[in-house]
Amino acid sequence: MARKRERLEVIRDILNSIRNNREIKPTRLLYSSNLSPQMFKDYVDELIKKNFVVLETTPKGKKFFRLKKKGNDFLEEYKIIENFVENFGL
Amino acid sequence: MQDYSWIIQNKELLKLIYSVIIILICFVIVLKTNRLFKLSLHQGIRYFRNAFFFYGIAFFLRYIVGSKLIFNSISSTQNYFIIGILFEFFLIMAGFFLLYSLIWRKIEGVGKKEDSSLINSKILLFYIMSFIISYLDFLWKAYFFMFLSQILIFVLASVISYLNYKNLGNKRLFLKFYFIAMLLSLTAWILNALLSLYFNWNQGVLINIYLINILIFGLFLYGVVKFTKRK
Repeated sequence: MARKRERLEVIRDILNSIRNNREIKPTRLLYSSNLSPQMFKDYVDELIKKNFVVLETTPKGKKFFRLKKKGNDFLEEYKIIENFVENFGL
Repeated sequence: MQDYSWIIQNKELLKLIYSVIIILICFVIVLKTNRLFKLSLHQGIRYFRNAFFFYGIAFFLRYIVGSKLIFNSISSTQNYFIIGILFEFFLIMAGFFLLYSLIWRKIEGVGKKEDSSLINSKILLFYIMSFIISYLDFLWKAYFFMFLSQILIFVLASVISYLNYKNLGNKRLFLKFYFIAMLLSLTAWILNALLSLYFNWNQGVLINIYLINILIFGLFLYGVVKFTKRK
């Protein structure tokens, strides 16, 4: 059985999906995140609140997620964070 | 013997130097881990940061505010007692935070997170326990309960950090140093207790405890600087 992903790993996966696609529709992001709709909503709401991602709407009313600078910074520093957490047993 | 009298003559100055070193180390650790926390929102980093924040406050209160060298005018017996209680409170809280940073996963789970790491139901329990311990020591006019609580905390922290080292030590270099730091902390607290109970705060031994503490905080500083460095 696959182990449960850590919170940081889930965030990394969501942000990576957005970065790899540049822009991504909410439904596609939900599928790629492998989360339940409620869990997905919780994570995305938090990422929006913390300015990691933004949910934009086109003039035609289509919605998509885009990565913000803070989200990009997180991905750049993910290795440092992961290394720190594991080395200190946190 | 000459060295010993030099220590006694300059004990306030030595305490001041010692506290400045510890406070500066805490300041750097809080600053660096706060940046990581802001980016990751990781609860373990958050509690680890809080531990050093509280250590910094405790040392600032005890050795800077309470120093006879700097604030001679306010260092009356009454003020000294208040500072002593506050010092104990923050020091015990710091110990709780450090221990909690190692076990928070088991209690909170990996998916959930508290909005505040300073005011929430679990931390409230630590505040209450710290207050009770400080108050009991105040009533007894001793440090007995603080020593007991810290020895228990660092016994637990030593066991947990040893298990972490045993499980992942070959992949994660700093887990060994973390375990060593916990053992040194436990040693320092046991020496502190013995010094208070049996050796009437012998200044020569006290200096050795200060050196052990600087080594512990130095180890943490080394780890934090090494593992927060941007490539």
